[in-house]
Amino acid sequence: MEITEGQNIGLHTQELTLNMGPQHPATHGVLRLILEVDGEVVKNCIPHVGYLHRGVEKLAEYRAYPSVMPLTDRLDYISSMVNNIGYCIAVERLMGIEPPPRAKYIRTLLSELTRISSHLLWLATHALDIGAMTVFLYCFREREWLLELFEMLIGARLTVSYPRIGGVRCDVNREFLCNLKEFIKEFPDRIVQYETLIDQNRIWLKRTKGIGVISAEEAVRWGLTGATLRGSGVNYDVRKKMPYDAYDEIDFDIPLGSNGDVYDRYRCRMEEMRQSVKIIEQCLDRMPEGPILAEDAPDLDMNPRGHRMLDGEFSVWGAGLAFTDEFVTTPKGELYSAVEAPKGELGFYIVSDGTGRPYRMRLRSPSFIHASAIPRLCKGHYIADVIAVIGTIDIVMGECDR
Amino acid sequence: MTFRDIAYKVFFIEILKGLALTLKVFFTKPVTIKYPHERRPVSPGFRGRHAMVRDPKTGKERCVACMKCAMVCPSQCIYIKYTGQEGESRHLVKYEIEAYRCIYCGYCVEVCPMNAIVLTEHYEYASYKREDNYFDKDRLLQNWDEHVRNIKADKYFNKFWRPLGIDIGRLPANKRDAVVEINDKRSD
Repeated sequence: MEITEGQNIGLHTQELTLNMGPQHPATHGVLRLILEVDGEVVKNCIPHVGYLHRGVEKLAEYRAYPSVMPLTDRLDYISSMVNNIGYCIAVERLMGIEPPPRAKYIRTLLSELTRISSHLLWLATHALDIGAMTVFLYCFREREWLLELFEMLIGARLTVSYPRIGGVRCDVNREFLCNLKEFIKEFPDRIVQYETLIDQNRIWLKRTKGIGVISAEEAVRWGLTGATLRGSGVNYDVRKKMPYDAYDEIDFDIPLGSNGDVYDRYRCRMEEMRQSVKIIEQCLDRMPEGPILAEDAPDLDMNPRGHRMLDGEFSVWGAGLAFTDEFVTTPKGELYSAVEAPKGELGFYIVSDGTGRPYRMRLRSPSFIHASAIPRLCKGHYIADVIAVIGTIDIVMGECDR
Repeated sequence: MTFRDIAYKVFFIEILKGLALTLKVFFTKPVTIKYPHERRPVSPGFRGRHAMVRDPKTGKERCVACMKCAMVCPSQCIYIKYTGQEGESRHLVKYEIEAYRCIYCGYCVEVCPMNAIVLTEHYEYASYKREDNYFDKDRLLQNWDEHVRNIKADKYFNKFWRPLGIDIGRLPANKRDAVVEINDKRSD
């Protein structure tokens, strides 16, 4: 360290420890970062998570398989459909159920709609954090449209609980399809609008280029997935590598970055939105007719004929505990199943002991793993760039803390 | 650096393009609504406030205390008490829903074999008292009356009673033609 003038007269400089969050508007929820700053430069950063812990993994152990599904809505609450689908796919693989083709196409379609919705929110907040407020307003305009589509379909805007084990809960209705067609016709122009505003904007470029750089090898070592990894140029996408639902029948590209900085990840996500529109168009064209629920799909109540009779004074606030212990409904075993959530690879690790509820459910949530990479990404940058880094890895604390 | 790049840099072309776009949008119709004064229409099947269907024939609730809703409820917010021995028909004594715990997944509506419980399209029920959103049986029936009062049609159908596209053979008999007549509005 250089000897400054101040030290000569008995004063000295020291690193300042600064708390950012958990109530900071730019930390996207209740993320707390302890920054050690030298002037304005971040020397070290320690993320503290757990402020939104609700114990979803533990709660799942006390519920039958279909009743766990609404809990997964609350993980990454801005892309709840993908969480639901990921959970349902995991349980289907456990039980050996194959959903009918129409259900697969509907799920694929809605996964991509959710991806658009999630990326819109990411772009909105990321741009707002960096200082582009117009983008924020325009993104929410389109996101509102998407949420209305979800409402038409299933009656909820965010916590949809749309799929179910072995298919989906209800078929797409005509009103939804008409509106969806209008949306995908309009949406590519809207992406162009966002790009007009920020893509070449010199302030945006100054704030994003060369910030939070991570090389491909290092990104893999940190366990990054999703667009955060692909921004560094690693071609890894669960939709291509381990296809689920109808992704293996659909033609789409994986956009890749090269520099691994904030700007490349931004470009990746913008291209992903375009690819999502492409996937939705293909799904609409190819969607087969037929049933939407597999024949052997379990009912919502997991068919609890074997459970002991409840007497008249029974308090049901314990019903989940009382039932399904006596009869075997699922094969014993354990499995890991992953889907490509908008944030990255969302994995469900389920251990089944043969009863109607999971013995253990472990979530591999991308946000948690990405949050661990924040120190690596923001070391040596300014405090203002920490905001850009948090935005670029696109974390949602609901999923991070579970 | 080409001439084009220099021109872009000097004349702030990209910023002017952005400003042109915002100016264009400035003259379009606003997408926002002034909420308490105007309300957006809610799609049919919106999962809002709970209600218990008042049977048009008996004027009472339809629930038979089969406990299925309480069984599937992920947040375990339904509390049921009934009398009646095994083998006899049950008599419902208490049916309570704690709306603060409810996560509005709609499983209870979907699983109910009698179409007794429903999530109505009503969504403005915030209140100053905690007890107001702790719905007991009478309150749930009252919610239904309030909901029915605003319906223009003479029939009510909730889309979770018979989800679109689900094989009808999977559903219990009462769900296959699940429609409630609301021809007489005596209940209010």
